[in-house]
Amino acid sequence: MLKIENLSARVAGKDILNGIDLCINAGEVHAIMGPNGSGKSTLAQVLAGREDYEVTGGRITFDGQDLLLMKPEDRARAGLFLGFQYPVEIPGVNNVYLLKAALNAKRKAAGLPEVDAYEFLALIKQKMKFMEMSEAFLTRGVNEGFSGGEKKRNEILQMLVLEPKLAILDETDSGLDIDALKIVSKGVNSLRDAKRAVVLVTHYQRLLDYIVPDQVHVLSGGRILKSGDKSLALELEQRGYDWVKASRVA
Amino acid sequence: MSVAPAALAAFAAQWQARTVDALHPWREQAMLRFLRLGLPGSRDESWRYTSLRGLAASDFVASTEETLGAGPTDPTFNYTLPLDAVRVDLVNGYPQPASLPTAAGLRLASLRDRARDDAADLSTRLGAPSDSEQQRWALLNAALFVDGLHVLIDGVVDVPLLLVHHTHGPSANTSAHPRLLVEAAPGSSATIIEWHVETGAGATLCNSAAQIALAPDAQIEHYRIFSAGPAATNIDTLEIRLAANSRCKQFTVALGGELLRTNLEAHLDGAGAELDSFSLLVGSGPRHVDCMNVAAHHAPRTQSRQTAREIAGDTSRVIFNSKVIVDAGAAHAQSQQSSRGLLLSPGAEIDTRPQLEIHTDEVKCAHGATTGRLDPNMLFYMLSRGIDRATAQSLLVYAFLADVLTDMSSRGTRAGVEAQLISQLPDSDLLREFR
Repeated sequence: MLKIENLSARVAGKDILNGIDLCINAGEVHAIMGPNGSGKSTLAQVLAGREDYEVTGGRITFDGQDLLLMKPEDRARAGLFLGFQYPVEIPGVNNVYLLKAALNAKRKAAGLPEVDAYEFLALIKQKMKFMEMSEAFLTRGVNEGFSGGEKKRNEILQMLVLEPKLAILDETDSGLDIDALKIVSKGVNSLRDAKRAVVLVTHYQRLLDYIVPDQVHVLSGGRILKSGDKSLALELEQRGYDWVKASRVA
Repeated sequence: MSVAPAALAAFAAQWQARTVDALHPWREQAMLRFLRLGLPGSRDESWRYTSLRGLAASDFVASTEETLGAGPTDPTFNYTLPLDAVRVDLVNGYPQPASLPTAAGLRLASLRDRARDDAADLSTRLGAPSDSEQQRWALLNAALFVDGLHVLIDGVVDVPLLLVHHTHGPSANTSAHPRLLVEAAPGSSATIIEWHVETGAGATLCNSAAQIALAPDAQIEHYRIFSAGPAATNIDTLEIRLAANSRCKQFTVALGGELLRTNLEAHLDGAGAELDSFSLLVGSGPRHVDCMNVAAHHAPRTQSRQTAREIAGDTSRVIFNSKVIVDAGAAHAQSQQSSRGLLLSPGAEIDTRPQLEIHTDEVKCAHGATTGRLDPNMLFYMLSRGIDRATAQSLLVYAFLADVLTDMSSRGTRAGVEAQLISQLPDSDLLREFR
């Protein structure tokens, strides 16, 4: 579904990604771990099409299409979803209407009829219930005045409504208490099926207790240094990242 | 004075040609001052951002008495006006219908009738002409206005009063000088909406002047909304006088016209008086919007808050110039000036200038001004959800203004402003859903 070949990228004149190779198939969950500043969030933003991040080399194909030629909004409509590490607050733009416009933009691109206000309200209420969110969120601005945990829950709510083929969740677990982590994990797991894939960017093994990955990758210095199964995450938890870097040098 | 004489000569000729009426001595005082001081120019501090050269070179023709039916009133425009209001249309300042509506606590009279009945009383109420820069055009209005409206509020008025100012002329360069005098009795309250449109040949000049006097404990919510066509010039002078513990909430909304200059001169005369001013200034095309506010604190414990949002697209220029003066006698006065500007195109310009002049200790005065472009993080967030760029930008522009809109208590007015605002943005159909 997603194939990244020798990807390098630069942010504000600084090389952050230095040759990433990664292949993600439908039905898989991949976890990307790594020390601070290793390029995890940059990779997530590049995949979503952030324009001030300059791709300096390599290629990315998503469902056979050249992702780097697609505008951010076209990537979203094609089924790519980024759950932000720091979801931005947009006061004055209603949370639910934004989501409805997003869903309809996607449906329109797929040649499907738009969802009307009543259908959408029923859909969103059902998803909010599943995510254990108060209906008060219906009337609020996008992430406006939300706590850190509420913002992350809102990201997953958006994901559930948009039903992406590929969800990239950038540190969705950070700042969550145990209960919220369980709810967020429940949301992600509910979307897992043979046609979809999930990329989890995380610092903590804890998330992977709830969302069990098929593969774990260690990103450091803008490269993937090591890949393995879920046991790699446990090993990282115990031994830190230095041994991966050391074994790579050796 | 570096001003081309054509306009001044034209105004002087209009003055000479007019029929002498009972207000003549009062008017003459104003006209002589106006001619002595001349049109304000770039050397006048509060006019430094607005060149009146083009206007000064125009040969203005006095507007004539028109009725509403004479002008090609845009029927779509009417849909956006608040319906839940007592409505009076002023065509070139002449109130329509001739038999003015009434409502509990509200008395309306034509200024022409009031002058005929008791000119001495009316000239006292209108007050002595002021030499201040902000009031320069009000001097001309005083000399040349033919009619206008006198609004007396002596109770709690539940229904908003909607005044639609139409500037209408059969030829270009028609000038009109509508005038409004509002007097709010002690403890009274009302909402007054002045909505300016132009329905004539296009390049009209509307030089309107309004005075609002609030007696102790009176409360007024006042709107002035400018939706004239792309060739129209509006110069509006608003003077507000606030007695003890009175409160005025004032909205200035710029949505139309080629050149718009608004003056606000608020005098917080009585202890505990409060002014809340909101300016929503939208520049698009080549529009020039210059909003000048002066809040003068003359008494203890007075409060003024000024909130401005400026948006400039295309090659427009938007200016928010606000001044707070705290006199020696205004101990414990509080003032806030807050301005946020949004630039939408490289050819647009926003100038903001908060000024403070404090003559006493123990005051709390704060000001803040920022101008920037659309937040790239907000934009990217919306793009990443599949919203197309033009829609995302429109939504963000709308959101930028929304916090001023939410302060509007008159629902019908807010809906009307929103409708007109949205129609100026791309993707207006989609945006309507977001309201």
